[in-house]
Amino acid sequence: MSIFEYNGSALVAMVGKNCFAIASDRRLGVQLQTIATDFQRISKIHDKLFIGLSGLATDAQTLYQRLVFRHKLYQLREERDMKPETFASLVSALLYEKRFGPYFCQPVIAGLGDGDKPFICTMDSIGAKELAKDFVVAGTASESLYGACESMFKPDMEAEELFETISQALLSSVDRDCLSGWGGHVYVVTPTEVKERILKGRMD
Amino acid sequence: MKLDTSGLESFSTLTAPGDDVAGEFSAPPSFQLPNSNDFDGFVKEAIQMVKPAKGTTTLAFIFKHGVIVAADSRASMGGYISSQSVKKIIEINPYMLGTMAGGAADCQFWHRNLGIKCRLHELANKRRISVTGASKLLANILYSYRGMGLSVGTMIAGWDETGPGLYYVDSEGGRLKGNRFSVGSGSPYAYGVLDSGYRYDLSVEEAVELGRRAIYHATFRDGASGGVVSVYHVGPEGWKKWTGDDVGDLHYQYYPVVPSTVEQEMAEATGA
Repeated sequence: MSIFEYNGSALVAMVGKNCFAIASDRRLGVQLQTIATDFQRISKIHDKLFIGLSGLATDAQTLYQRLVFRHKLYQLREERDMKPETFASLVSALLYEKRFGPYFCQPVIAGLGDGDKPFICTMDSIGAKELAKDFVVAGTASESLYGACESMFKPDMEAEELFETISQALLSSVDRDCLSGWGGHVYVVTPTEVKERILKGRMD
Repeated sequence: MKLDTSGLESFSTLTAPGDDVAGEFSAPPSFQLPNSNDFDGFVKEAIQMVKPAKGTTTLAFIFKHGVIVAADSRASMGGYISSQSVKKIIEINPYMLGTMAGGAADCQFWHRNLGIKCRLHELANKRRISVTGASKLLANILYSYRGMGLSVGTMIAGWDETGPGLYYVDSEGGRLKGNRFSVGSGSPYAYGVLDSGYRYDLSVEEAVELGRRAIYHATFRDGASGGVVSVYHVGPEGWKKWTGDDVGDLHYQYYPVVPSTVEQEMAEATGA
């Protein structure tokens, strides 16, 4: 198994009508053995910007700490929060700095930009940005996730329907992957609130 | 290299010589070897291709009232789950069961073959074959194919004249008699639960529950095990299937979700 499949992960982000949702699984494993079923893969940068990091868990944690550091400096200097597009460029630059000894992570970035317009993007481990208008996926279950999202996604969904869709896509995909699952963690973000929910999934 | 092809001689003794209709069955079938220059290299490649990681959990144990046999039902190819509904407990005959771990095709074929040989033994000797004899038949065949890439990690469980019997047989040629076995990638987790809950004088219901619990815990921790837990009991009358519970539901039965007490609840803000 490759280094990206060492810990196992599943991440997906979807765009709705003036809102977005980002979801992850909750398993932390060491190859086939499950160590924890409450691992946090999605972290908040600020109220309207979330980043999920799939791949090797140690690199995900370190990269997240570096990004929080850079964002706090930005907040001090600019006296405002970073826009999602800017943050994506920051992540891309940080990853490419390590081009010949990379972080073994694939980030999924989701946020509300100017005018509360939802923004999602994903990157490979050396910073190639992939902007999408509908959904982005990452992790060991990514192929199943692509299939599930492609068939379940509709444009301009409201927050509740978006939550249902992203949850079903996540749970059905991780049920076909040995290395991810054991529950789900979903954030649905609208201009006025952030709703965090834990999903009951198959624990095998 | 002389392979023991006696396992494939099912029909040769049943047809009369010179019988044209059944002529094609009179010669014992044998496996053809491939026509390649580098036979060893070819076999090594084939072994690597077929070599599954024995991603599964199966267990069996003897207790006062017979043998309990339990298994999960997941088939995985690397990280991908190819099926959640594989039958891993194979019914060799009405009083003997075999478990499947390793290559599915290998296990299914050789267990079915073993069933045929057991039946032939019954017809030839007018009495049922013992578990000892059946496991020896299988072990000898697997030993003769040793090194050719078969992947079989099976337990033969049954009830014969001497009472309950349990043997572990694998494709390396090993054959072990014992009281408690667990085979597969999830076996360490199953052993933990099985060994701590085991007593010789369990009732049948308690033993079935122990087997089910042990497999459930293995499916929780091991990524390559999951799906449905099947538990069989082999008694003096033969085997009987007791449970086929989905592990997803079992988890919430054993550990129901307790709604957490809310200390501060947010109210809807009126007007924005």
